[in-house]
Amino acid sequence: MNETRVKLKTGNSITKTLGNYSFILIFLVIFFAFLLINGGATTWSGVMNILRHSAVVGVLSFGMGLVIITGGIDLSVGSMLSLIGGLSVVVFNATNSPIITLFFALGAGILCGLINGVFVGIAQMPAFIVTLSTMLIYRSIAQYYLRTMGLSIYNMEGTLSSYDAFYGFGQAKWLTVPVVGVVLIAVTAIMVYVSTMTKFGKTVFAVGSNEKAAQLAGINVKRTRVLVFVITGLLCGLSSFLWLGMNGSVDPATIGKSYEMYAIAAVVIGGVSMSGGKGRLLGVLFGAMSYTIIDKIIASLGFDALINDTIKGSILLIAVFAQIVVPAIREKVRKPKSI
Amino acid sequence: MLKMTDISKSFFGVPVLKHVSFSVEQGEVHALLGENGAGKSTLMNILAGVYTRDSGTVVFDGEKLEHTTVKSSDAAGIAFVHQELNLFNDLRVFENIFLRKEITTKAGMLNKKAMILKTRELFDSLGVDIEPTAMVSELETGKKQLLEIAKALYASAKLFILDEPTTALNNEEINHLFTIIRRLKEQGKSFVFISHKMTEIFTIADRYTVLRNGEFINTGNISETTPKDITKMMVGSKYCEQEAYETRECGAPVLELNNLSGHGFSDVNLTIQKGEVVGFTGLVGAGVSEMFQTIFGVLPITGGVLRIRSCAIAANSVHKAMKNRVSMIPSNRKENSIVPDFSLLENSYISEHTLSSRFQHIFSRKEKRRFRRLGETLNIKSNSTSDMITSLSGGNQQKVILARWLNTKADILLMDNPTQGIDVGAKAEIYKLINQLAKEGKTILVNTLEIPELQQVADRCVVFYHGHLQTILSREEMSEENVMLWATNAINSSEVAKTHE
Repeated sequence: MNETRVKLKTGNSITKTLGNYSFILIFLVIFFAFLLINGGATTWSGVMNILRHSAVVGVLSFGMGLVIITGGIDLSVGSMLSLIGGLSVVVFNATNSPIITLFFALGAGILCGLINGVFVGIAQMPAFIVTLSTMLIYRSIAQYYLRTMGLSIYNMEGTLSSYDAFYGFGQAKWLTVPVVGVVLIAVTAIMVYVSTMTKFGKTVFAVGSNEKAAQLAGINVKRTRVLVFVITGLLCGLSSFLWLGMNGSVDPATIGKSYEMYAIAAVVIGGVSMSGGKGRLLGVLFGAMSYTIIDKIIASLGFDALINDTIKGSILLIAVFAQIVVPAIREKVRKPKSI
Repeated sequence: MLKMTDISKSFFGVPVLKHVSFSVEQGEVHALLGENGAGKSTLMNILAGVYTRDSGTVVFDGEKLEHTTVKSSDAAGIAFVHQELNLFNDLRVFENIFLRKEITTKAGMLNKKAMILKTRELFDSLGVDIEPTAMVSELETGKKQLLEIAKALYASAKLFILDEPTTALNNEEINHLFTIIRRLKEQGKSFVFISHKMTEIFTIADRYTVLRNGEFINTGNISETTPKDITKMMVGSKYCEQEAYETRECGAPVLELNNLSGHGFSDVNLTIQKGEVVGFTGLVGAGVSEMFQTIFGVLPITGGVLRIRSCAIAANSVHKAMKNRVSMIPSNRKENSIVPDFSLLENSYISEHTLSSRFQHIFSRKEKRRFRRLGETLNIKSNSTSDMITSLSGGNQQKVILARWLNTKADILLMDNPTQGIDVGAKAEIYKLINQLAKEGKTILVNTLEIPELQQVADRCVVFYHGHLQTILSREEMSEENVMLWATNAINSSEVAKTHE
């Protein structure tokens, strides 16, 4: 009796682990496809570029991950990038200081996130509607403000003394690893720590898993909901700063377009359940990188970039199919035995 | 008119109905009585085709019903008016009545006029005052109940099963319902009336049948019995478990309620001492759950004063209650207590963490050690602390929730139906734990309908009826019969019966 029980357990844990870490499998498949297609042309810096180009969407996806774990959603992340990025350019041009720009970006992010959070957490409006509204509002403000200045793009002044330092930061490497990639890794480490090893992190999961029970266990559900949106805003601020360092300019109409969708996809591929309460944030890094690799594969195959979303969408479908349908089938097959 | 003979049914090998017979004559109101779990609902669900019977025969209106389904019993003229009403809130009254039986014009369009007219005729004949075009969501519960009956009547039902139809109604609505039942009775309709309230049973029913533990006990005319006899039949001479209760010393008052009022209860006066175990009982909706939630800060206080350790409590905040070392194990564990995606360990520490959130890092080794210590005192059976809570039995889940609150160092424990959905062995263990905790100086309030369990733990028993504190019974007075008499307000009704004599 004891033996069979142990056996059953190890069998379970292997399939369970595979299910929990399916994002690594997906990432590896895509990554090997990338290596195969590139063949001998693969270079270390080419691989590192994956990390670099995943930084902006990756950082903000971690905020999205927290929000989704509480059972919510944030559609405004792309628009926040546009608004915060645009205004940060203005701030940089006025102050000539990357540090002040960074603090401004983070502060503006917190404010934008707080607006989302107050409507969703305190006023208890549906997250989808609230962030759909702010998605429209934030980008529109960025575009309108630019128009009032008579410009068509937010451009950092190349003549400013600290421009080279700022732009250099976006291109810089630390021991052959792009600095923005290092920032992404650091954010990953922090977010994984926060979500798994801190009391706040557990609160986020508890709210998403059973809100009523969380409330009756003494958890401040409203505050938790506000905080996840504020953190998302903060990370959007950081993403905007990285974008400026990498690109030096912001076109408010196109920056971060569809990023909310890519972020959701990265979170879902990473194994976080859309209904909340389940999943781990580590997968978000791999989800985000998987999408960047697809961009690169399409570029090196010389396909039209417009086919991009077809492939990204299909991968998302396959990933979710693997996470939802496969365990369900397995459950069905196993059930008769257990009864 | 209805004759159910020798009905048996078991779920997963556990018999819930054993050779039960039940019959209803035309034009009578038949009260089906029994404690929770006696088998009333199962029997009625078999009649309505929700469950299939294992054995026995059902004859309705001269026809033998075989392989009953919900649809076929509906077609035969049996209408089950459930406790949770089956109405579409976002449709209008007449649309609910004519759902899937809509009257159409020749062109195939809905003939609203005709439907509204017919609804009005139906309501007039019943003496029901509902506007046919009103939205169902805007109706009061009492009206909804009447609408449900009217709907079944329109579908030409002959037998109505009313499952505790009066729980959500006020006295006036109950009287109205009874008038309508009497009117339909004269037209030859029959009713099965399930209720715990003696007053109502003796007002409306003609005959009764009592079930206990899935067995038929007795049937007879209401006019030839008394509330006391009925209660005796329902309760029986129960097998008495070994006494777990020990007399104990109680300390200073820790919880004082002065004219406390809130949602669902009012003007409660009560003082509870340190180390005391107080049983609370009352039918569903009597207000005990609401009072517990108010003390725990989930619901607001609307009047009176609540004092915890002599300090008046104002704000309705769970967090403040927890800081005052008050805790609550809510009823309905699955919905209100367990976090299904969490392990045992995580479930056991989330509440303590809201009190110690100044230090954010979780030291998992420390948490595990603490859990293991609690697990030993509570005798939680599990393989590992990282097992999901949903993999445990109900009893062990409840112990984890108990661990959650002991972790917060709470010493006033409110337990709302703590043994709900727990098997007998685990129940005994929970009650043993309650005694043990009281010995350690914890103050425990237990809300339950299961009186034999209260006898195992409680120093006193507070009985609620309709949001009011009826009486406080001492251990000696805490017999099941006595409690039932107070909880169903049968004491008052038997006095009324006496004065009539």
